[in-house]
Amino acid sequence: MTPAEPGQARRGIPADDGDELHFCSTCAFSAACLDRGYDKSRLMDLHVLVEHSPPIREGEHIFRESDDFNAIAAVRAGTVKTYVTDLEGREQVLGFFLPGEVIGLNAISTAKYPCNAVALETVLLCRFSFPKIATLATRMPGLQQHLFRLLSEDIGKANFLAGDFTAEERMAAFLVVLSRRYAARGLSATRFRLTMARTDIANYLRLAAETVSRILKRFQRDGLVRVDRREIELLDRPALERAARNVLRN
Amino acid sequence: MTRTTCIDPEILARHDRPGPRYTSYPTAPQFTEDFGADELRRQILRSNAEPIPRALSIYVHVPYCFMPCFYCGCNRIITRDTRKGERYLEHLLLEIEQVSPLFDRDRDVLQVHLGGGTPNFLRPSQLGHLIESLSRHFHFSSRSDRDFSIEIDPRNVEPGDIRELAAIGLNRASLGVQDFDPDVQKAVNRLQSVEQTLEVIEACRDSGFRSVNVDLIYGLPKQSLAGFEKTLDTVVEARPDRLAVYGYAHLPHLFKAQRPLDASQLPDAATRLALLRLAIERLTDAGYRYIGLDHFALPSDDLALAQASGSLHRNFMGYTTHAECDLVGLGVSSISHIGDSFSQNPRDVPAWEVAVESGRLPVWRGLQMDPDDRLRADVIQQLMCAGRIDVGQVEHRYDIDFREYFAATWPELERLAREDLLTIGPDGIVATSQGRYLLRIIAMCFDRYLQQPPCTTRGPTSYSKAI
Repeated sequence: MTPAEPGQARRGIPADDGDELHFCSTCAFSAACLDRGYDKSRLMDLHVLVEHSPPIREGEHIFRESDDFNAIAAVRAGTVKTYVTDLEGREQVLGFFLPGEVIGLNAISTAKYPCNAVALETVLLCRFSFPKIATLATRMPGLQQHLFRLLSEDIGKANFLAGDFTAEERMAAFLVVLSRRYAARGLSATRFRLTMARTDIANYLRLAAETVSRILKRFQRDGLVRVDRREIELLDRPALERAARNVLRN
Repeated sequence: MTRTTCIDPEILARHDRPGPRYTSYPTAPQFTEDFGADELRRQILRSNAEPIPRALSIYVHVPYCFMPCFYCGCNRIITRDTRKGERYLEHLLLEIEQVSPLFDRDRDVLQVHLGGGTPNFLRPSQLGHLIESLSRHFHFSSRSDRDFSIEIDPRNVEPGDIRELAAIGLNRASLGVQDFDPDVQKAVNRLQSVEQTLEVIEACRDSGFRSVNVDLIYGLPKQSLAGFEKTLDTVVEARPDRLAVYGYAHLPHLFKAQRPLDASQLPDAATRLALLRLAIERLTDAGYRYIGLDHFALPSDDLALAQASGSLHRNFMGYTTHAECDLVGLGVSSISHIGDSFSQNPRDVPAWEVAVESGRLPVWRGLQMDPDDRLRADVIQQLMCAGRIDVGQVEHRYDIDFREYFAATWPELERLAREDLLTIGPDGIVATSQGRYLLRIIAMCFDRYLQQPPCTTRGPTSYSKAI
């Protein structure tokens, strides 16, 4: 027996490859389809669209800005960061995608990827050809609804930090949202690893890296969180939720 | 603390066998040359990327000594040529310039330790240059509890030196004494008078050093109970804030420096034990607290306070109140501990110099901890610092069933429990009052790298005896 990474132990969902009729348990689509009682032949239709690509190593790009858009991809394992580079060459982090989440949705309207996507650790993906899944969706209303939901979630994510919020509010909201997203995938809502670098968190939250650390230290001192290297434990979720209230509005 | 005369000599004797001091886990013999400069660089970048990057602790090794002490097991070079010191300093400054830019600037330095060899082989002005360079390239913490310490050989201190060392920012001193008994001093080739030692202690206090530590060694050749008792009386009178009482490990096949020492003059096992018991009794009677593994401190000292509050930590420099620092080792043979990695600089000066001159990080070997290493390191750290293992906390943190995880070593723990070295209960695994003097023996049960089951086999002979 080997111990798991702190905070990840035993709660990780195995990234099985599935077979003809059984999707990965982490599949972004399987739940939507299975819940609606589609029969096996329909699932087969969906399954043949899936292309399991080889592992993408830390630092490797999945797509780059203005690459032709051809597929959306569900993250099976690892974390993906999306970002754009401004005219001065400064990076601007757009978001992070965790296992079970889908990247590439923001390319649908333009046929080009509007941003870069890079693996923050070893990443496994399931790619779905977009033209094919769109066609299939016309025959599978459940799949279509699911796609719409993913799209609206993606838009919501982008607006997340647009307002005039304090550093504490941003940081608290970031933690609460991560916690909700992990919980939605059946992972622990109170203990998880921050798989992104603090400079990425800072960039995403529009804060200085030192500020990210300073606020986390304060949260830690006030008993809201425990931070051990990259492992985060949310000790007082209600207090974090309160601090995040203005940002999240719910 | 209660008097510790309850230690059972038979049990002590049974466990007087080699074992690591666990200044790190895994221990240095596990390091390999697969871990090189690129790995260290990557580890430093990773450590900067943590949500709260750790503060830094800096160790600088000065390998030179004017005279050879025959008991020495450190990496040191005997010379009277002070130009070597100047050359060494130049290379240290180069290494600082190479290593420091890799660390984010908001990582405060909470601890600096100058060790050796003999750090005061370098003149205070040279050490001042070194500290000044460190302060320019790293960001020194302004916290009042920062520890800037130096090991001092009192035989090499000139009037005014200590004041200068305080002026460059050093605030803790550790003095080598070993034993004042003239016969012992002759046998180990270290002649050092009580007067010069006390003068240095006094000078440290007058100059505003926050604390003074004195090192003693038991088990040296010609050592007698009467002589050591006198040494203890003298030292207790001087009342240093901290004391370390090390057991001498005679390993001449490993440490060339020990070969001139006449092994026939070494005390027998019974005398060795009696010397240790004498030291423990004298020091605890004089009001010192036992911190763990060879170390004692006055109750008002930071170490004793940290132990009481559970914030004591242990690294290559021994016990420290600064938890959770990444350790940057500079100079020959120094060890760094960044993130979950250990790495060590070359042990010989030429190899280290060549690396530094060529602009490479001078890494000789190292190790990347795996999840099992991390768990065991945590367990051993708890044991060494608190004298207990919080089983529930370990189970929660690593999501294991402790007893199942350590099933192989469980019978050995139960045996140690029967010998009254530890108790296994709802609070976890707790070292008893006599077990606290045998923490290494308990820790060895959790060392995967000793043959399994670890406690029933003799450890590699490269380790010093447990008591």
